[in-house]
Amino acid sequence: MNQILLSIALFLRASTGYKKSKTFIRDILTNPNNPQKKYVDISIIFLIVTSVFILIYEVKHSVPQWLDFYDIYIVSFVFSVEYILRLWVHNDITETIIKEHKESEFLGRQFMPIMVLKEGLLEKVKYMFTPSALIDLLAIFPAYRPLRVLRIFVLFRVLKLLRYTKSINQFTEVLSNKKFELLTLLFLLFFIVMTAGIAIYVLEEQHNPNIETLFDALYWALVTISTVGYGDISPVTPEGRTISILVIISGIAMISFATSVIVSAFSEKLSELKENRIIEQVNKSKSFLLVCGYGQMTKMFFRHYGEEYDNYIILENSQERMEQARKDGYDAIFEDASRFETLNKFNTEHCDITVLCLTASDVENIYITLNAKSISTSIRVIARANDASMLSKFEHAGADHILMPNKVANSMIHTAITQPTMYKAIHAILTGKSIARIDEIRAYECDAIVGKTIKALAFKEAKLLFMGVQHNNEFIFNPPSTYIVEKRDILLVMGREISLDYFKSLYAKEC
Amino acid sequence: MDKQKILLFGYGNHGKYIAKGLVEDGFKVQIVESSETFYQNAIEDGFSHASKIDVTKDELLTALKPETYTQLVCVMDDEHLNVFLTLSLRSLFKTCYILAISDSIHTTKKLQMAGANKVIDLYEVSANKIHNILNRPIATQLLEEFVVHKNGIGFKELLIPSNSFLNGLMTDDIDLSTYGVLLVGLIDEERGHHFEFITAGINHKLDSGDTLVCIGKEEKLQAFEQHIKKKEA
Repeated sequence: MNQILLSIALFLRASTGYKKSKTFIRDILTNPNNPQKKYVDISIIFLIVTSVFILIYEVKHSVPQWLDFYDIYIVSFVFSVEYILRLWVHNDITETIIKEHKESEFLGRQFMPIMVLKEGLLEKVKYMFTPSALIDLLAIFPAYRPLRVLRIFVLFRVLKLLRYTKSINQFTEVLSNKKFELLTLLFLLFFIVMTAGIAIYVLEEQHNPNIETLFDALYWALVTISTVGYGDISPVTPEGRTISILVIISGIAMISFATSVIVSAFSEKLSELKENRIIEQVNKSKSFLLVCGYGQMTKMFFRHYGEEYDNYIILENSQERMEQARKDGYDAIFEDASRFETLNKFNTEHCDITVLCLTASDVENIYITLNAKSISTSIRVIARANDASMLSKFEHAGADHILMPNKVANSMIHTAITQPTMYKAIHAILTGKSIARIDEIRAYECDAIVGKTIKALAFKEAKLLFMGVQHNNEFIFNPPSTYIVEKRDILLVMGREISLDYFKSLYAKEC
Repeated sequence: MDKQKILLFGYGNHGKYIAKGLVEDGFKVQIVESSETFYQNAIEDGFSHASKIDVTKDELLTALKPETYTQLVCVMDDEHLNVFLTLSLRSLFKTCYILAISDSIHTTKKLQMAGANKVIDLYEVSANKIHNILNRPIATQLLEEFVVHKNGIGFKELLIPSNSFLNGLMTDDIDLSTYGVLLVGLIDEERGHHFEFITAGINHKLDSGDTLVCIGKEEKLQAFEQHIKKKEA
């Protein structure tokens, strides 16, 4: 028996298909950063909404057979599959069995897979009793037709929405922060309702035809204290009315207290909620910029090019500057980019992230570079270095590009002095705005040009100046016209933007 | 080309490097400083003619004879002083060419108002560079190497001599790649004294006195410069 369990576990672990599918399903069900998750979410929400719609429609109309079929089988089937999958990916029993086997071999004790199997299963059972799992399970029940009362369980499907809509989750999260206040309030409410209910029961049970049981009295107390006041039960004796007055006054106090607690909970969390929204939004995009620091450099960058970048977030660790950035109309959040938690919030797995370290302090920029690279080496870092002596440190930290404002400015001044006519030209090329853009044509993005000679490519027709080719990390200036373009080559051309677009359109589709 | 004379105000963060680069390129540089430390640095670095004066005094500025220099470059570390200096120089010498550096967005405008012919904004050029790195990383890197003539490839301005074979030729008909150089743009004197890129799509007629701007390997550029002096291609 033990051996069978072990070989099953080993077989499953060796199977890449099993592992892959498990990771895939876990990711798509539970990782909010997975771009495909939204399709799953939308389809489940669709099933829930249609199912509830059918429930409402059914009250007064007879439902066509196919709709009934859809409701009973398809919706419930999908929900059951989802339930089972969630249960499956909740934990890894195979791993624990193998671990147990290794440990027992190491210690020379008897291999007891049943124990760990039990533990693993217990873990799954525990999961089954979590509120969200219970809701999932109850949402499947309406499929069982013989019991009509189970139809109302369709409403549990509405509760399932909780899992799929972020804002409701945030609402509960915000309220859970005020747990203590709300619990106190609830206790107070319970106390007043009980006291007032019992009092009215004792005082009016004999005189008031509407109050027959203690339940009636408690119901009256709750209706009154909540200021709903249906009026179906009302006190008839002066003593009862006195109690009413007290209950009403305490009711007003309690409602205002509850409102203020909830409002303050939200206002405290508002900026955090807003920031989370910005992060979520940007995490959904394919690639984005994280700009650290809102100083002169960032301001200048956004002033010139802000419109060209849609997906970005400015991270600023000074409240004042962060507010300034927001006032200037940019998406900024109050966060310290040198903290692991900050950068870890971003979807490093599915997005191309470029971090711009533009704070005025070199130390901070190096720290941010290290932080970004420690989270994922795939994050591209462009760092600003003020001091030339810091250059090697930035290189060690792993910055992909190091920008030295002083050096850039110095070389521009140098050009402006030594080659005054050229300065304008070079400046135009560097800013890339004019007719003299220097641009890259990446052969791998443009299959049609691979395998062709330079002579055969229509540079002249497109009025482009072909300058050279980057081949195996080496730049070949003005290669012979018989040079054949390879897949990994990058062609360097100069010309107007329309020329470049025209050139690309000539070799269209793949470009 | 005659040796150009540059009057460089400031030997701080920027001045130090600019002076070094200019000297390497064969320019004659005169350094002016008002701070004792920077002045000493300049002396140590071999600029024995550097002068230390209070740049806020007009008579001292006039004594430097700025009008005899090709360009006045204001790169003082103190940005207030830099703006004031630019203003003083402009009011004293109406025709001088003044180049100034700006360390902040607000200073750029002040320097322009003070009368600098050209202002290089530290943050603007850096912002451009970030944008270029993001969009065209390889082109940016290569272009910078061209500017500083790294790897032997660079830009060069070539004046067409009076009896060159290029005289009268049309730009569309000539192919300079056989000489190992590429024509980036030119100053066609017929069309006015301004630089035009070849990619603008205009077929220029070349005449003596026009300036060609070419890119290529250093030695090829020099060979080509000699070559265009010939009558025959």
